[in-house]
Amino acid sequence: MKESWLKKRRWERCMHTEFQFHIESRIADLMQDGLTRDQAEERARREFGSLELAKDECRDERVFEPVDRSLRNLRHAFRSLSRAPGYCAAAILTLALGIGANTAIFTAIEGVVLKPLPYHEPDRLVMALLYNRSLKYATEVSYPDFLDWRRNARSFEQIAAFKPAGFDLTGPGLPQHLDGYEVSSNFFSILGVSLLAGSSFSPDNDRIGGTPAAVISNRLWRERFQSNPAVIGRSIILNGIGFTVAGVLPPSFYFENELADLYTPIGRVDPLYQTDRTVHDVICVARLKPGVSIGQALAAMKTLQEHIDDLNPTTEKGESAYLVALKQQIVGDVGDTLLLLFAAVSLVLLIACANVASLLLARSAVRAREFAVRRALGATRMQIVRQLVTESVLLSFAGGLLGLVVAKLVLFAILAAFPGGLPRAGNIGINTSVLLFAFGLSIAVGILFALLPALKYGNTDVQVGLREGGRSSTASHQRTQSALVVTQIALALVLLSDAGLLFRSMIKLWQ
Amino acid sequence: MLILRIAALRPIHGYAILQRIQQLSNDALQIRQGSLYPALYRLEERGWLKSDWQAAESGRNAKFYSLTKLGRRQLEAEKASWKRLCAAISLVLETAD
Repeated sequence: MKESWLKKRRWERCMHTEFQFHIESRIADLMQDGLTRDQAEERARREFGSLELAKDECRDERVFEPVDRSLRNLRHAFRSLSRAPGYCAAAILTLALGIGANTAIFTAIEGVVLKPLPYHEPDRLVMALLYNRSLKYATEVSYPDFLDWRRNARSFEQIAAFKPAGFDLTGPGLPQHLDGYEVSSNFFSILGVSLLAGSSFSPDNDRIGGTPAAVISNRLWRERFQSNPAVIGRSIILNGIGFTVAGVLPPSFYFENELADLYTPIGRVDPLYQTDRTVHDVICVARLKPGVSIGQALAAMKTLQEHIDDLNPTTEKGESAYLVALKQQIVGDVGDTLLLLFAAVSLVLLIACANVASLLLARSAVRAREFAVRRALGATRMQIVRQLVTESVLLSFAGGLLGLVVAKLVLFAILAAFPGGLPRAGNIGINTSVLLFAFGLSIAVGILFALLPALKYGNTDVQVGLREGGRSSTASHQRTQSALVVTQIALALVLLSDAGLLFRSMIKLWQ
Repeated sequence: MLILRIAALRPIHGYAILQRIQQLSNDALQIRQGSLYPALYRLEERGWLKSDWQAAESGRNAKFYSLTKLGRRQLEAEKASWKRLCAAISLVLETAD
């Protein structure tokens, strides 16, 4: 910046010297023709024309001029906006609301829907469930089903089982009730999660009579064991049984339940349970083999389940298999709701734009005269349009900055509004892509609402502008204004029906 | 084109270019002196002219412009198209009689 400033200073000095040389030479020549110094000087300057105009024209020829010119535009925009603080405040607030709401919803969508699950190749992960054909809903699997699937399913690289469980941790330290899961030994390797310390339990722990071992969450490790690495191999008392701590999960690990702190082997429990096909409480997560689609895997699983049904006619009746992508299972309908919300806030933003554009037009009495004068003084249409765009982008940028604050507040509201909490809520935060989104949105909005007045003023006839500029409104002004009002009402109506639909579907979901 | 033609002979400063144009055209072509420089700057930005500071006859430092290789090619091209245009116009004028 400073370097380019110095360069520019030098350039300006050179130009000045060159012009001085020209004038001096002319003076010398004229004096030779017999003029006095004063006469010669006067004549030389007249012949040369305006020095400043020539300089300006030379400056315009330079390649690095655009940057310079936009800086000048920016300064001008600042000045002209600071003359109308009320208008500015109204515009910035309106835009802040629009941009803020959009950014907030985008943040939620980005965190919940767009960001991939924090597992290795998450697209190949599916949940495998049973499907009750007569009652038409998906349901958990029994442990023997899981064993059959593990033995026979060919579409999967691996398949693991898990079921939610509660634990009473009674030692060492104060007793505490904790959430967690009973999982099969390959659970973490299927997800592709590597442990922060220690290792997952082995298949040896995961069978009847196996040594009890547990994997603990990063939070539990931090809060209960002060992040002490020596906890690996120590014994903790869970539900009255001593478990050896086998490993600690990384802080980023997340699976279904934000609060899960403990993972123990599912296969070491009651032998009766392991053969009972009527207890359906296990969910399977599987990794598809590369190149196998969910549809193919599902077809294979259905055939397999029919076979299992045939072998166990008393306990398995009308059961089929059901596969769903892990992400869809976790995100679920919330993704659709968020997208609907996003459409709604986009409409709000459009309305905000229309509002600001009509604010701009309301100022047109003042501006029309200003632009007519500038046109009369030789500004090109492009220069005026550029000026308008600079002003409005500046405005929308301020709106965007304030919008980030609004977004933060709206996010709290969103998180509070979803009954039962948003899945992956921990993922939601203002990050680079959100900032980029708000930034791009601001610029787009700025250009959008500048275009209307720009087109309007761009075509102003200088003479008419100068004559009518003083008066408050013209027919064409009113026409544009009413077009804007019509647009706003239309958008508001769409928004209203959108909100109604959203409300209906929310109520349905709760029922 | 005129500027390029004049700068093609030898490095020359802005004031002298103006004098040469007026002299060579027997004062028929009058250029507003201030508008010469934007043209010079434009030609320089396009890479057809290059400039350096030298002492002028009067002993003062002046900016001397000279033609670049690119400028020479441009000059040839413009001369050719000018000749074509002149020939075409005079053809029309003469045959219309």
